[in-house]
Amino acid sequence: MTNRLPWWVGGILMSGLLLLTFSIFGADRPIGASTYVPYFAGVVFDLDSEKYTYLKEIKNAGSWEGVMLLGVLVGGFITSVFITKSFRISLIPSAWKKYKNSSVLSRILWSFFSGFIMIIGARLAGGCTSGHFMSGMSQLAISSMIFGTVVMISLLLTGKYFYNTKGKE
Amino acid sequence: MDIVVVTEGENFGSRIVQMMESVIHQGHGSLALVFLIGIIFGGIIQYTRVDKFEKIAGFAMLKDTIVPKMLFLTVGLTGIGLYFLIEAGGAHYHIKPIIWQGLIIGGTLFGISMAILGKCPGTGPVSIAEGRIDVLIGAIGGLFGGLVFTIYYNDFFKPLMGESLGKFKLPDFFVGNEHLVVLIFGIVITAVAILIPKVELYDEADLAKLPDDARPDKK
Repeated sequence: MTNRLPWWVGGILMSGLLLLTFSIFGADRPIGASTYVPYFAGVVFDLDSEKYTYLKEIKNAGSWEGVMLLGVLVGGFITSVFITKSFRISLIPSAWKKYKNSSVLSRILWSFFSGFIMIIGARLAGGCTSGHFMSGMSQLAISSMIFGTVVMISLLLTGKYFYNTKGKE
Repeated sequence: MDIVVVTEGENFGSRIVQMMESVIHQGHGSLALVFLIGIIFGGIIQYTRVDKFEKIAGFAMLKDTIVPKMLFLTVGLTGIGLYFLIEAGGAHYHIKPIIWQGLIIGGTLFGISMAILGKCPGTGPVSIAEGRIDVLIGAIGGLFGGLVFTIYYNDFFKPLMGESLGKFKLPDFFVGNEHLVVLIFGIVITAVAILIPKVELYDEADLAKLPDDARPDKK
């Protein structure tokens, strides 16, 4: 397909980026992508970082990922505009229309709700797809293997029962 | 090293400056490097298009397998490379603790939300950067999730996570055969990535880029 890297090139590049980030010549830490959310919640809602234990605990990881996130936004924007030419403003994904409904309100409410429980879930488990699945499993961490297994089961069950896929290609 | 904490001003701008100060002083790469890691991370995800709803929610519906193929390949290759990098003194372990309740409750919530939103916290920002408004709404939901988690951390969420049973990794259970375990793990996971059948869920934008004879909907 045009304008897209194959999955195996993506996997090799991502592996290289993880190794660089882990190495002492890079950042000497794993890649994570969910601690920045409560960190930014602290910034946006102007929470006193001395008052909340959790904000103190995540100060370093949250700020590191916060700066990385700014890079992700820039990298995603540049790639979507200049390389894949896939930038466009949209409200409902086409597969949502096909397998769920065509209601903007429904998509927005479900998005808000799922975003909300996604961060609660990631912070309860101590990581997300990046921190647990990629960085954690690459270290053969048992906790990350447990997380990966639970997420896979929960993801596939939700996919099966939340969407209406019967009789559709 | 002197730690400089900016305490004056609690407005948005000064807190962003504090964020950068914190990165500069924590010794995990320079500010520019961390930003660059983000750019490459976002670039890889965007260029492979694995942030698409059709890829992630599509996998939940078992109609697309690009995401697990790429994820497993990443883990398989990094698993072997990282082990020897650490052995050679070029990196360190950063293992997360086994907290049963947190992992099971958190993993369940995470899987549900990933299937519905069709993003995770790493791919979501890439989708926002390419103009997906619904994901921006999801991120606002996430900020409120982060707010609630922070406020009720001591009273509710920390007890809910349960006690840590320690930070274990697979080779710890095979003392003397660590190299072998890591090699087998890496090879098996890489093989899984290759052996997962390649299935793809296309949307109109993808199909429009394909030549007519390659379009699955016109066969």
